[in-house]
Amino acid sequence: MSDMTKSIVFAVAMCVVLGLLLTGAATALQPLQEKNVENDRRKNILLAVDLVSRDRQYTHEEISDLYEEKIEIFGATQTGEIVPEVRPDEEPVLPIYLYIEDDAINAYIVPIDTQGVWGEISGYLAIDADGSTVRGFTITRHSETPGLGGEIERQWFQENFEGKKIVDRHGTFVSVRVARGDVERQVPEEDRPHYVDGISGATLTGRKLTEGLEQILYRYEPVSIKFRDNRIQMPDDRG
Amino acid sequence: MKLIRTKAFKTFAGPAWTNNPINMQMLGICSALAVTIQLNTAIVMTLAMTFVITMSSLIVSLMRKIIPDNIRIIVELAIIASLVVLTDEFLRAYYYEMSRMLSIFVGLIITNCIILGRTEGFAMGNPPHLAVMDGLGNAAGYGSVLIFVAFVRELFGSGSVLGYTVIPEFFYNAGYEDMGFMLLAPAAFIIIGLMAWVQKYLAGVDEE
Repeated sequence: MSDMTKSIVFAVAMCVVLGLLLTGAATALQPLQEKNVENDRRKNILLAVDLVSRDRQYTHEEISDLYEEKIEIFGATQTGEIVPEVRPDEEPVLPIYLYIEDDAINAYIVPIDTQGVWGEISGYLAIDADGSTVRGFTITRHSETPGLGGEIERQWFQENFEGKKIVDRHGTFVSVRVARGDVERQVPEEDRPHYVDGISGATLTGRKLTEGLEQILYRYEPVSIKFRDNRIQMPDDRG
Repeated sequence: MKLIRTKAFKTFAGPAWTNNPINMQMLGICSALAVTIQLNTAIVMTLAMTFVITMSSLIVSLMRKIIPDNIRIIVELAIIASLVVLTDEFLRAYYYEMSRMLSIFVGLIITNCIILGRTEGFAMGNPPHLAVMDGLGNAAGYGSVLIFVAFVRELFGSGSVLGYTVIPEFFYNAGYEDMGFMLLAPAAFIIIGLMAWVQKYLAGVDEE
């Protein structure tokens, strides 16, 4: 056998062996990994409404118990009605999570899926039942540059959103925006309730996130308006 | 005394101390900066790296006679990359939080020049037991630096060790503050620089 043939045979054999090995490992571990991802998703929804704390570890059981007790998923129609999530043969609805405490809606949670600089940014934004105050914000997944845009996964950035208003004093929708730098220095006093501190070196990530939040929250405006006017009905058909 | 004269021991101790990959050869600095903010990420990174470097050295050394010379770098990289993917999958299945904290740096073990350097420079030309010792030695050298840097950064940066607060409350009351600088990457540079200086001084390395 010539050197060339030997190399090719070796390379092919190596690819097959390593390919099988990696496929096997990925397939075997996939159920566990998916469970982790689902658990993390639930944990982030709970985090957004402050039902769990960032400083503590939780077991999978604690998370799923809490989640099943307090959180329910519904759909929001274009007219702002809250309906069961799955309704075959009808107009599509936007997913909306409700945090229910003592049979009343305590807050609602909007899934955020938007484009970042390098890939998708996913997370959850929780809004109080008054329809205007942000309860919390979490990021579950992103591909921003570590150390720059990647800082959006930090606690300080996410806690930044708590208490911000998505409407101005006159009740007009303004969304929440990421400032360029510190809110205190960059934003005039009257706009501060709608701005969060930006990340230095990550202007683009901030801009993308601002755009994404505005588009998504705008789509949920019909529901938010109903919450603001206190006209929201608990959906009868629960579960 | 017999143990420390064996070739195997020398192969282990060389990279662990006198020829330390980070302090003496200035390799693998990238991950040493990135994962040393907290002690626990540094420890997991060390374990992951130990597994990858030892296994890749062992496999390459076992196959060194049949790996065709003209594609050997590709073969070495393929083996290293597969081991890294395995480690990453394992972490994501069993230590999800940790794998999120380490984020891309587990994947970046592939590009850690220490590992390719050891498989190419040592495992290709030495029998398996020495290759394993060499791998372990380099992992120990790399890991000890990582863990020391992480210890210093977490202690002074966050006032804790392994997540447990160790700086007593009355220090803070007396005006002590955590050094925010320790949490930034340049702090690791300075610590590694100081370590390299001390170690070179102790080892008696002359100006080159």
